[in-house]
Amino acid sequence: MSAAALPRVTAPERHDILSWITTTDHKRIGILYMGTTMLFMLVAGLLAMAIRTQLARPGETLIDAHTYNQIFTLHGTAMIFLVIAPFALGLANYLIPLQIGAPDMAFPRLNATSYWMFLFGGLIVFGGAATNEGAAAAGWTSYVPLSEISISSGLGQDFWIVGLAMVSVASIITALNFVTTAFIFRAPGMTMWRLPIFTWEMIATALLIFMAFPSLTATLLMLFVDRRLGGHVFDPAYGGSAILYQHLFWFFGHPEVYVLILPYFGVISEVISTFSGRPMFGYTGMVLAAFAIAGLSMGVWAHHMFTTGAVNNPFFSFVSFLIAVPTGIKFFNWICTMWGGAIRYTTPMLYAIGFLMNFLLGGVTGVMVASPPVDFQAQDSYFVVAHFHYTIAGGSLFALLAAVYYWWPKVFGWMLDERLGKIGFWLTFVGFNVTFMPMFFMGLFGMPRRAYTYADAGALPALNLTATVGSYLMLIAALLFVANIIVSARRRVPAGNDPWDANTLEWATTSPPPEHNFESLPPIRSARPLWDLKHPRSQAVVVKVAGAP
Amino acid sequence: MYPPTWPALGTTQSQALADDWKIFTYAALAVALLVWGLIAFAALRFRRTARNAQPRSQRDTNGPLEIAWTVAPLVLVIVLFGVTYHIENDVERLAPNAPVQIAVNAYRWGWTFRYLHGPTINGNLNAPPEMVLPLGQTTEITVSSSDVIHSFWIPDMLFKRDAIPGRVSSFDLTPSKPGTFLGRCGEFCGLGHATMAFRVRIVSPSEYQHWLAYEATQ
Repeated sequence: MSAAALPRVTAPERHDILSWITTTDHKRIGILYMGTTMLFMLVAGLLAMAIRTQLARPGETLIDAHTYNQIFTLHGTAMIFLVIAPFALGLANYLIPLQIGAPDMAFPRLNATSYWMFLFGGLIVFGGAATNEGAAAAGWTSYVPLSEISISSGLGQDFWIVGLAMVSVASIITALNFVTTAFIFRAPGMTMWRLPIFTWEMIATALLIFMAFPSLTATLLMLFVDRRLGGHVFDPAYGGSAILYQHLFWFFGHPEVYVLILPYFGVISEVISTFSGRPMFGYTGMVLAAFAIAGLSMGVWAHHMFTTGAVNNPFFSFVSFLIAVPTGIKFFNWICTMWGGAIRYTTPMLYAIGFLMNFLLGGVTGVMVASPPVDFQAQDSYFVVAHFHYTIAGGSLFALLAAVYYWWPKVFGWMLDERLGKIGFWLTFVGFNVTFMPMFFMGLFGMPRRAYTYADAGALPALNLTATVGSYLMLIAALLFVANIIVSARRRVPAGNDPWDANTLEWATTSPPPEHNFESLPPIRSARPLWDLKHPRSQAVVVKVAGAP
Repeated sequence: MYPPTWPALGTTQSQALADDWKIFTYAALAVALLVWGLIAFAALRFRRTARNAQPRSQRDTNGPLEIAWTVAPLVLVIVLFGVTYHIENDVERLAPNAPVQIAVNAYRWGWTFRYLHGPTINGNLNAPPEMVLPLGQTTEITVSSSDVIHSFWIPDMLFKRDAIPGRVSSFDLTPSKPGTFLGRCGEFCGLGHATMAFRVRIVSPSEYQHWLAYEATQ
């Protein structure tokens, strides 16, 4: 860092509420995004606890059917649209400019617009609960005709449509911002093939959002027109069909599940590489695999419709199987990144290893349900519930927690407590598996999802009780996480610029970074500019390999 | 009635479906055990200790290895697809002129079973209907719905088919085990979904004829 500090050209930073409302700083918008998703997660998590409490024993009457239907609809909708996906958008907001050595996003005001649209969209979805007939209760998929006005007359369903449409448009705007920023705001020396894997995964995610989310926006609009303007878009009597809605919804919905996972593949890649002390193994393969997954995921939507008898099952089955190939490439690359390293078991690394363990089971059971003969039983049963929680909760959520522990010191300048973090990890890991492992068996044994009660027969009572016990372990872990933040905020152990001995650019600036991000940048001659800086001899090798003079 | 535990496999079709479940479960577990093993080995073997204080290598590519772990899974999924394709064809093949034909209509929240040249059975949440089928004879079931989407699901037969308004869809069941099986709605349909059940009773062909004769007098 030989370059002299540039003179500050920005006004002194303000921290009052007005400054947060009017901010266009990508870091503050990222913090707003992530903070908001954490609050939404708290609500969605408590809804999940209500579900598990109701299902602890057969015939429980704590929650009636109508309330239960609202609870699981809001739980799913919130976790998918208001927690897992937008947390990644917030994290990317914070990180992409820092990782590529830029002062801000390409369109800072558009960036603020998308956050506020997201926030109010989310509040509107939840706000449905305050209407006369309560919140939307047709499931996060809101299949027609169930969600049509003739069946679901409540305003809650309309709140759900309008709120999600806002979230959808906000996501498209943000994706546009990410891609533009990553393409044209890179610092000198930061070529595309030197981008950190996280930034690459976000580019792939943004492309998926471009392709998939317009279909969601359109479908929501059609549903609204059907409900409130007498559109008959999905009415068979007018040439529409319930199957058409499913095609439109899943054309968005399946790419969406990769929007929920690709960013977290990026998180895991950064964390494993840092704590193994090694470069990302198979960097090119990792990037290509991300785009292969994104591309293939556009051609598998109807595997959600195997039991309709209305789609070409073999085609959608085969393309779904193919996704296992690039996903496998990623797993082997993560393992080889650890191989030959000197692994430090920090909290983020534990969550990363937990991610690998859980997501693997989500992946192989994904191949199982992609086989129609298996899906004929698994579809809409607890088997599928177990499968997608192993990917979204055991996978994405574990990576989300890894990201929180990993980048917290950068964002706030002080460390989270490692001991509480590790205890929390083990509670979460054990609790998660105790909750969701029994669900594979519940589904195989014939328990349908979205059922507020079940008969006192066979293996179901024991399996459900086990799952509920596991969920309470996760609740304790969640409380421990809150306690960790409070305890660590009091202690304020300073983080310094680079507490983890990491290698990407965000660790080259102060913690937290100044408003304009960098006083100066190190030379960028590889995907690991900080590693080059810390190991001057190896840098020469890199330059030589790159063919520089 | 068979309780909800390991599916009883009450039809010849479900035995083929169970084969698919077994092949995919074993393949999934084999892959998972291999990869879990590699993750655990790497995580434990290469943890930082006094003796392993520095990473021993900064190597980040290995062409042959990367090609191998791209091609091997590709071959595996192609083989698995062959299995899937074969079994699905077997299960979904409709026998010409099935001796028993039933039109199933689902509604919120109950079922109507309309036997071709036979009785019509109706039942709802208070009194779930019972479908009676002859052992060893193929039954063709055609499902539809008169309001929202439901799904005709018999867990012990490992099979469900969605009942969609404005659409009919057919499949065959060939009962291979006597007894009473629980059937239920497999697609979320609102307030009564959790308890929208029916029963399927498999009887000998002669008992079935008696039942038909008895129903005709009702």
